[in-house]
Amino acid sequence: MMTFPAARRAALLAGLSLALPLALPREAAAQMDATRAVAFIQTTGNALVEALNSTTMSPAQRRERVANVLRQAVDMEGTGRFILGRWWRVATPAEQQEYLRLFEETLIRNLATRLGEYQGVRFTLGRSQQRTEEDVLVTTIVERPGTPTVNLDWRVADVNGQPRVVDLVAEGTSLRLTQRSEYSAVVQRGGNQVSALLTAMRGQLQQMQARQ
Amino acid sequence: MRFGPLLATALIVIGLSGCATRPDASDPEALAEYEANNDPLEPLNRGMYDVNNVIDAAVLRPAAVVYRAAVPPPVREGVRNVLGNLRGPTILMNDILQGEMDRAGRTAARFLINSTLGIGGLVDVAAWQFGIPGHGEDFGQTLATWGVGEGPYLFIPVLGPSNFRDLTGAGVDAVSSPWFWFGQGEIVEALRWVRAGMTILDAREGVLDTLDTLYATSLDPYSTLRSAYRQRRQNEISNTGQVAPDAAGSTGFGVGIGVTLPPTTTPQPPR
Repeated sequence: MMTFPAARRAALLAGLSLALPLALPREAAAQMDATRAVAFIQTTGNALVEALNSTTMSPAQRRERVANVLRQAVDMEGTGRFILGRWWRVATPAEQQEYLRLFEETLIRNLATRLGEYQGVRFTLGRSQQRTEEDVLVTTIVERPGTPTVNLDWRVADVNGQPRVVDLVAEGTSLRLTQRSEYSAVVQRGGNQVSALLTAMRGQLQQMQARQ
Repeated sequence: MRFGPLLATALIVIGLSGCATRPDASDPEALAEYEANNDPLEPLNRGMYDVNNVIDAAVLRPAAVVYRAAVPPPVREGVRNVLGNLRGPTILMNDILQGEMDRAGRTAARFLINSTLGIGGLVDVAAWQFGIPGHGEDFGQTLATWGVGEGPYLFIPVLGPSNFRDLTGAGVDAVSSPWFWFGQGEIVEALRWVRAGMTILDAREGVLDTLDTLYATSLDPYSTLRSAYRQRRQNEISNTGQVAPDAAGSTGFGVGIGVTLPPTTTPQPPR
């Protein structure tokens, strides 16, 4: 946890980091700055918590709000391509487009539904860790009344000069890694056809829509 | 629980079964994925997974649902504490074998405090009053820190995801526990079965929501579980970040099992 002076310093740095990108040349944007990543997660997290704990909105409105925050925060194309992995190049351009559309829709619905149950949620920023050249893992601790606390880490990368979420790591388990394994298994069991995955994703979306 | 017969059965079944086809070297990406999955026995494992789902749907999940609905949270927490405390000697042995003397000291202190002041482990006084949080440890992890590879991935009905190393570890943990040797007679034998049953029930209840979500959202829950299990074990072995609860064993659906963190605020007394 941050001590008071450290928190002030972080706030100051966060303020600075909002101003700095305007002054820096664009080439410098490829690397993700830890302070900027933390500020980004702070903002995104606050927006999510605000939407989730709102008492004036209906559950459907809350879901829509959460979906909007996620659409802006997540690098949909990069994450989708990472998850399809080696099958991306096997897919036809039409299949790629269809896949990205289904991927975004599925991810938003899954996360919005799951987060929708997080009433009364609070989150605390942990220490951030610089993991690789390109991205930063920002750790948060999520607390819900009556349930054990959960460690939720956000992998933040620079996408066209903007910080974007590229992975969620829940209790040490990376969502994009498990999902890549899942999607690849579906493709392989469907005779190495990406179309098999698209069919499965379409079916899943229909089920989700029917449930809501 | 005795793992010996189970292990023998598993080995025989594996010997009789076919293996997954290794991709040709001309497709390096497919080969890389095959090796990353570490699942040469996939056809057998998927069969075992189907068996597990039948048992789970008929017995384990309904039992966990009833357990959650009928038993109030403080009692379930007490049960988990007792199970965790019973694992104390096993955790201690593995802390020592890994050369983690700090952690061994904490485990020993927790076992002494919770067995006495905590009324046989019912209340986690060590964490609540003394600020000594628990952690899990098992012989599978010890083998890993000694440099033993995990061996092929295994899916075992009821026990869940595992691998040759972790299954061996579970067997060693079972026979090296003092409770395996201590006492005899029908009552002791009955208590062993109660403990085994409660361990499975507690573990299943702990992952009720996680597994429900997983089965509802995953297009291939088998591979999602495999990936999640292997990532979680990697985390546990390196002792980074989250702390596995004492009650967590070496195999199984540890995905999202009541993971506790060192308290950030003043801990609340158990209700």
